[in-house]
Amino acid sequence: MKTILAVDDSATMREMVTFVLESAGYRVIEAEDGAQGLDRATATNVDLVITDQNMPNMDGLTLVRSLRELRDYKSVPILLLTTESSDSMKSQGRAAGATGWLVKPFDPATLLEVVQKVLR
Amino acid sequence: MNQETTTESTNARDAEQAADLLVTVASTLNERLAVTADELARSQALLREASDELMTAFRGAADRIVAAQRGADAAAEGKSAEYGLVLDHLYRAVQHLQSHDLVNQLIDAQKLRVDKMREKLVQALSLAAPPVTHPDQAETWIERSRAMLDCIVAGIQQIDQDARAPLGDKHNAGSVDLF
Repeated sequence: MKTILAVDDSATMREMVTFVLESAGYRVIEAEDGAQGLDRATATNVDLVITDQNMPNMDGLTLVRSLRELRDYKSVPILLLTTESSDSMKSQGRAAGATGWLVKPFDPATLLEVVQKVLR
Repeated sequence: MNQETTTESTNARDAEQAADLLVTVASTLNERLAVTADELARSQALLREASDELMTAFRGAADRIVAAQRGADAAAEGKSAEYGLVLDHLYRAVQHLQSHDLVNQLIDAQKLRVDKMREKLVQALSLAAPPVTHPDQAETWIERSRAMLDCIVAGIQQIDQDARAPLGDKHNAGSVDLF
């Protein structure tokens, strides 16, 4: 079973992502900000990280950069799931090493399609 | 000499009236913002209550369907199709529950903006509290008005600093870019 780390400061959003992923058979670990996400990712190797951008303590892009510096996370897919949709933010995400960018509110079926694709 | 004194006294009176008007405007604006802050808080409380109820119902249904899917009889063809149907409904709810969450975040950002502006207005009003040293000099009143206006303008400029409103871009909502 693949393990996915879901990072978001909104408990509702984490719950939505977790439900959708668990209903499709994935195991989900949650974190409420980038700093906690980094802790969780270093404590348990996960197969995919899905993170929000705007969060207290550590934002999503900083989390992506921090994870990419770790040997275990050089090639693990990382998706940004955020309300930010500007091209400049997406470019920053790409430069930081993110695998993809999804704009909230997400469509569950689309999220599952993307997850399957990046985990392949 | 007398004419000069009279002109200065008239200027001082005009400047005092302008400073008083600024105080009236700032305090009225502050009162209106207090009403706005209260209405935002009430809207958020109502929305939270409704969201909590929906989330409880959603959680109950979601937990049951995930548990049932994992159960021994889940492989049965009829059951599987039924679960799929229920999941479709829950997935649709997921999209709308996210909107509730985004609206909540928007209200938070608006509340923060209103609170920050009110802080600055109170600060500006406090500048008008102490009695002026030379009430007969126009410059005294002009300086006071200038200090109040600077404070209010600083409030307007800082208004967005800490408010992290979700961007809510309907056109791009749900879009995906894979790099």
